[in-house]
Amino acid sequence: MNQHNSEIYRTTPARTGKMLAIVLGICLVGGVIFFGMWDYWISYQAPVVAKMAGESEHKLAPGVVTGKHMEVTLNFIESPDFKTFAFNALPDEEGHNPTINANVGDEIVFNVANGGKSFHAFGVTKADEGVTGIVSTSAIKSASNPLKPGESGRSEFIPSEEGTYYYICTVPGHREQGMVGEIIVGSAQTVEAPKAAAPTGVHLDFSVNFIESPDFKTFAFNALPGEEGHNPEFKVKSGDEITFSVTNNGKSFHAFGIVSDPENFNNILWNSAIAAASNPLKPGQDGSVTFTAGAPGTYYYICTVPGHALQGMKGSFIVE
Amino acid sequence: MVLELQKPRPIWQIMFSTHHTDVGLLYLITSLAFLFLGGALALAIRAELFYPGTQIIADSMTFNRMFTVHGTTLIFLFILPFASAVGNYFVPIMVRYKDMAYPKLNAIAFWMIPPAGALIWLGFADFTWYANPPYSIISAPGPAADMWIFGLKILGISSVLGAINFIVTILKCKHPDMSIGQVPLLAWSFLTSSLIVLVAIPTFAAALLMLLTDRLGVSGFFNPAMGGDPIAYAHLFWFTFHPEVYVLVIPAIGMMYEIIPRFSRKPIYSHSSGIFAFVLLSMVSFSSWAHHMYATGMSFTEKTVFMIGTLAAVPASAMHVFNFIATMWNGRIKFATPMMWAVGGIALFFSAGAGGVVNAAMPLDFQTHDSYWVVGHFHLFVMGTIAFGSIGFLYYMFPYVTGRMYNEKMGQVHFVLSFIGAILTFFTQHVLGLYGMPRRVYDYPPIPEWITMNQIASIGAMIIGVSMFIFLINMIYSSAKGKIADTDDPFNLGGKYYFPYEAKNPHH
Repeated sequence: MNQHNSEIYRTTPARTGKMLAIVLGICLVGGVIFFGMWDYWISYQAPVVAKMAGESEHKLAPGVVTGKHMEVTLNFIESPDFKTFAFNALPDEEGHNPTINANVGDEIVFNVANGGKSFHAFGVTKADEGVTGIVSTSAIKSASNPLKPGESGRSEFIPSEEGTYYYICTVPGHREQGMVGEIIVGSAQTVEAPKAAAPTGVHLDFSVNFIESPDFKTFAFNALPGEEGHNPEFKVKSGDEITFSVTNNGKSFHAFGIVSDPENFNNILWNSAIAAASNPLKPGQDGSVTFTAGAPGTYYYICTVPGHALQGMKGSFIVE
Repeated sequence: MVLELQKPRPIWQIMFSTHHTDVGLLYLITSLAFLFLGGALALAIRAELFYPGTQIIADSMTFNRMFTVHGTTLIFLFILPFASAVGNYFVPIMVRYKDMAYPKLNAIAFWMIPPAGALIWLGFADFTWYANPPYSIISAPGPAADMWIFGLKILGISSVLGAINFIVTILKCKHPDMSIGQVPLLAWSFLTSSLIVLVAIPTFAAALLMLLTDRLGVSGFFNPAMGGDPIAYAHLFWFTFHPEVYVLVIPAIGMMYEIIPRFSRKPIYSHSSGIFAFVLLSMVSFSSWAHHMYATGMSFTEKTVFMIGTLAAVPASAMHVFNFIATMWNGRIKFATPMMWAVGGIALFFSAGAGGVVNAAMPLDFQTHDSYWVVGHFHLFVMGTIAFGSIGFLYYMFPYVTGRMYNEKMGQVHFVLSFIGAILTFFTQHVLGLYGMPRRVYDYPPIPEWITMNQIASIGAMIIGVSMFIFLINMIYSSAKGKIADTDDPFNLGGKYYFPYEAKNPHH
């Protein structure tokens, strides 16, 4: 039983060396990737942070009103076989589910009539499916208390941020059967965010640095909370021309912008953005922007990367 | 088991082989690589704690990332793959089958480990190996945290596939002449630990998915801000990972069952009580998970139930220890390196178990909870028992795997230094816990007793580090240039062995 019929070859130093070279090579390549991207691995907040911050957005009053007013007339209709629902006209007909183009701050007034045989209700939402997230001012009736055939209603909607909204029938299932149209809201910069009446000709230069605490929990401008120079307050006159220079002295990615509400980090005023959350300043990078301060009020300069303003990257910017 | 080397083959042929010895070799090399990587992190952690204040690690976040990866690596990328390596080499031979039941599944289970290891090491998450919410949901920065979650997910799948393979190999592929009671205890240890894996892992797999969706913000299972309950995560986690402790320790005990009779030159004292204790241990492993959570405000009844459930593991563990002692009794013991590791492992197993009884007693647990006592306790188990058994078995299987003998002197020095180092480090950490030092801290106040004990622990860790360096040199040098071993009786013990080298590799 203890007999070998075949010769046994022993491990050679060359084989051991090869195996070691493979293991060390993997560690080396991995190490280069790891240390080369050291800041990247801890550069993002979990998406839930931005979502939790965004929850309060819906409770906010709509953004600044531009004064532009548009009337939209919509009619709930149904196909004769009752399988397809739509607004105004059936699919492939003229005027089917008209797309509404608006800008942030425009007042859109809906006049909605139920021209069908079923019950319907109206609302505007940002969700791209389902009937949740209805903006409260835009709702006409509800699924539990809908518009009966022949009834009509009126509501208004002022978009507070750019993007695509949907006007839908809020009775469950009707949206899926075709009762949905788009509202495309253009960027805030194209509309008159509060602007000064006339330029003052004064030019001011400001600079701030993005910094982070060593434990990465507290973010700030210039100095950590409790230290001198923490999130300095800037005061300017309406119409001043302002140049902001920022430097990212932290380990994470950052971006700069001035907003009226620090939780609404997408609504950047006066073209004051430097970089963006999707294309941020990497550690060590800097940037600058020049813009004209708009209408008087209290504004905030923040890091526009989601979650960072909540962690402390926010300072007051007061226009007098 | 020199088999994979019987005919010189290019390395890629070993890498893409499905033969159990080849996959075993891959498991072995991977697990040892991660042992040294994870151990290096441990040394950095101990060096940081040598003095209060900042020493070598830049900030607390880096420190957190290091001990997270240290724990994850040594548990999931060293101990589990090492056990799989041993199982791959020995289980098919012990049940007298030509290979594992599903060779391709076996290779797949191995090849899940390198990508998972890469995810964990590249991401370097910072939320400890518990990934406790709400920190892991709200505060832990990505993509490191998400990479860790995916890495553990892959490792969980790998464990389940390996477990299925072992169970089928042992139960369905054993030689028809062999009854289940005659299956050697090492194979029995893999059978019982694989059954635990099958029952326990899915719970954590579900918890990981819930953690991920919580991080994405689409659910709120464990997110208090969205109405979730972090304690629920702790239950799901420990329902998997208390049994997982037994998944780690049972194969190590099985390895000692292989070493101790061999080097005592006696048959095992009681084969059937060994089997009984394995089965008992695998059952009571599910009755104790909440003893990690006495401090979360459980009712008195719950605490009592889990205290008794935990203490139920004591008789089963003691049966193993008595079995070892009775086997050694009156034997002609040869204290070669594997035997030294096994006996040292039993001694530390007893010490760790004694400390565990203190933890399990719920009034005393409140004193030790979240202190360095706990660190000392589980390191004494994981290092002192499981790693000692595993390293001893590595020395034991070394001649079969490489066809060469390791350097006996270096092996013994490795054991002595590791044993002293383990006692210095982990016994001291118990006392440090009683003095009130909390675990998972980057810095500590300069209390003279704390400083002294931290320094003793750090010196112990450095001694282990030195011994591991000797071990590395020994393994590399001996596998290439060691004395050629007589695979019939490499340790000059006389008597019969399993004949591992007789397994046939289709490549030859």
